[in-house]
Amino acid sequence: MCRLALTVALTLVLVSSARADEATDLVREADRARRPADSFVWKISITSQEAKKAPSVDGFEVFVKGGGRVFVKFVAPPRNVGRSLLALGRDLWIYLPDAGKPVRIPFSQRLVGQVANGDIARADYAGDYDATLAGEESVDGVACHVLDLKAKSKEVTYSAIKYWVSKEGRRPVKAEFYAATGTLLKTGLFDNFKDVGGHRLATRLTLTDAIRKDRRSVLDYGELTVRDLPDKYFDKNYMRTLD
Amino acid sequence: MRRVLAAALLLALVAPAGADEAEPPAWAKALRLRGRLAEEFAYRLHDPGDVSKLKTLGWLDGKYAFSESVAVRAAVRGWYDAVFEATDRYPANVERDQKTDLSLREALLIVGLGDLDVRLGRQQIVWGEAISTFVTDVVNPKDFREFVLPDFSELRIPIWALDATYRLAEGVSVEGVWTPDTRTNKLPKQGAEFQFARFPYRFRNPVVRLPDDADEFSLARSEGGVRLSVLRQGWDVALIYYDEADKSPVLFQRRVAQPPGPEVVVLDPQHPRLHIIGATLAKSFEPVVMRAEAALTLGKRYETANPLDPDGVVGRDTLDWLVGVDYTFFETVDTALQLSQKVLMGSATNLTRAGVAAQVTTSVTLRATTGFFDNTLNPTVLFVAGVNRGDFRLSPRIDYLVSGAVTLSVGADLFEGPHRTLYGQFDRNDRVTFTTTWRF
Repeated sequence: MCRLALTVALTLVLVSSARADEATDLVREADRARRPADSFVWKISITSQEAKKAPSVDGFEVFVKGGGRVFVKFVAPPRNVGRSLLALGRDLWIYLPDAGKPVRIPFSQRLVGQVANGDIARADYAGDYDATLAGEESVDGVACHVLDLKAKSKEVTYSAIKYWVSKEGRRPVKAEFYAATGTLLKTGLFDNFKDVGGHRLATRLTLTDAIRKDRRSVLDYGELTVRDLPDKYFDKNYMRTLD
Repeated sequence: MRRVLAAALLLALVAPAGADEAEPPAWAKALRLRGRLAEEFAYRLHDPGDVSKLKTLGWLDGKYAFSESVAVRAAVRGWYDAVFEATDRYPANVERDQKTDLSLREALLIVGLGDLDVRLGRQQIVWGEAISTFVTDVVNPKDFREFVLPDFSELRIPIWALDATYRLAEGVSVEGVWTPDTRTNKLPKQGAEFQFARFPYRFRNPVVRLPDDADEFSLARSEGGVRLSVLRQGWDVALIYYDEADKSPVLFQRRVAQPPGPEVVVLDPQHPRLHIIGATLAKSFEPVVMRAEAALTLGKRYETANPLDPDGVVGRDTLDWLVGVDYTFFETVDTALQLSQKVLMGSATNLTRAGVAAQVTTSVTLRATTGFFDNTLNPTVLFVAGVNRGDFRLSPRIDYLVSGAVTLSVGADLFEGPHRTLYGQFDRNDRVTFTTTWRF
């Protein structure tokens, strides 16, 4: 009897471990649809809309190298030109020309519209969250795995994410982003998939406020340049030079 | 009319980039040009209520990158303050000093050689982690003609300098600065809107004040320092050392016999040598960011009202330090709270500088900002208080983003406190402001 219980327990542990590994693999593969290479520059525009107001458009150049190094240059509109963000792992700085120096800020601070700093400065869900498989659902006719992502530390943008990843191609389809209180903050939809540099990439992310559904921000991923970026681009002391 | 012409010229410069969808030539891709035009209006609320600023200000800033490793940058700033036409409350020396300005704000050659980056030319070199304070921001002199109310990039006076940074390892770099440009802080002239409270000399003898004519360039008096910056496990630490002349003049007294008349008291402004040793620290404990700074200034001297002091000046090494936290409330209100102290290594009795209230002068700073209507309406409030004597500055402001290029700002600068305190000296200078800024 005791041996049977032990066998069942061991089997349960192995199965749950295998499911966790599968969940992590799913998230890692879905991350690849948002990261075309190890070192690249991507032009992103964010269109923020609220009710009947005219949309505002913000432009960024995002420099990425390795897992956790991201430099974001603000290129539009004119009032933001000269600003930049640097994310090194879980550390984030903003460079403001008026201050003349990089200033430490939290990831959770809002960047523009419904977009937090972490939405463009961090794309490593597999590194930042523990994933578990929670079931299967269809989103707009696409069969998906549903994953629960829990933050590995408090230093990430969201406390939890509910993540829909397509069964075919393992691409990100939908995400719900939650605060530590369990409150739904916003919903994201990934679409406009294109083949770029041999990868199938999501080139649009639409973020909608959970309470005010008329508040939306659309991230469009445009021109992509894959190249080996110098390490000094990811040094806070170099931010003023890249202005 | 002048503004219309300037705007037309700028539009002509900017428009082709937007109008032509074709790939721009290589030189155009290497060139970055931007600028802003601002109209700044201020109305003084007391004694008497009157316009105190009607300034048209323009900035033009360009960068040309010859390659990824070599670039040149230049920036010019000019202004015209029509308040001197609108009112006759300011004397001629203030009008000469503040009515117009055309200055080179940046002229810089930037060269990258592997892990070494060199910046040579006229520039601002900004050290420190804190916001709205100068504890370790010691390299550039400051322009205090409008107190500390403008943006800090406007307050800093650019200097000709060599600034070299070498990356020793990932997250570790050392920066060396050297400058023969020894220009000093710009202080408001007598009769200016933000003239500092005057030293209460009570001499029976005639007094002669010598001009402050320290050379702006001097190899012998050149200044410099180093900063070691380390980032480990999210801890952002820097150690600094800087050797400079005091950027504010210290009035040394001496008595000169003038027989058969009485002795004349000569006030001689000097800039004693200072050695500044400091450290900065910043760390994010998401969602809180903590920052701290400290600077020990050796060789600091202060004027004293003690009549028995032979030269009217005493030496007091001084420690300035601060600690601050940033936190976002309700995911919408960004706040920054800072506590700072100036600690004199010795008695502060008889010292008359407005920023020195006691041997330990304590102040607190609170800044809060939020956004409404998708961040198009952004209220900000800055409150800075001297704890010892209860003087304070309160500066509320609302920025309205009319478009991506145009911002309207309405605000106020309110000062309260006893006379001869840092903020109390401007007790009668409360003002409301209205600013329009167009960026391109």
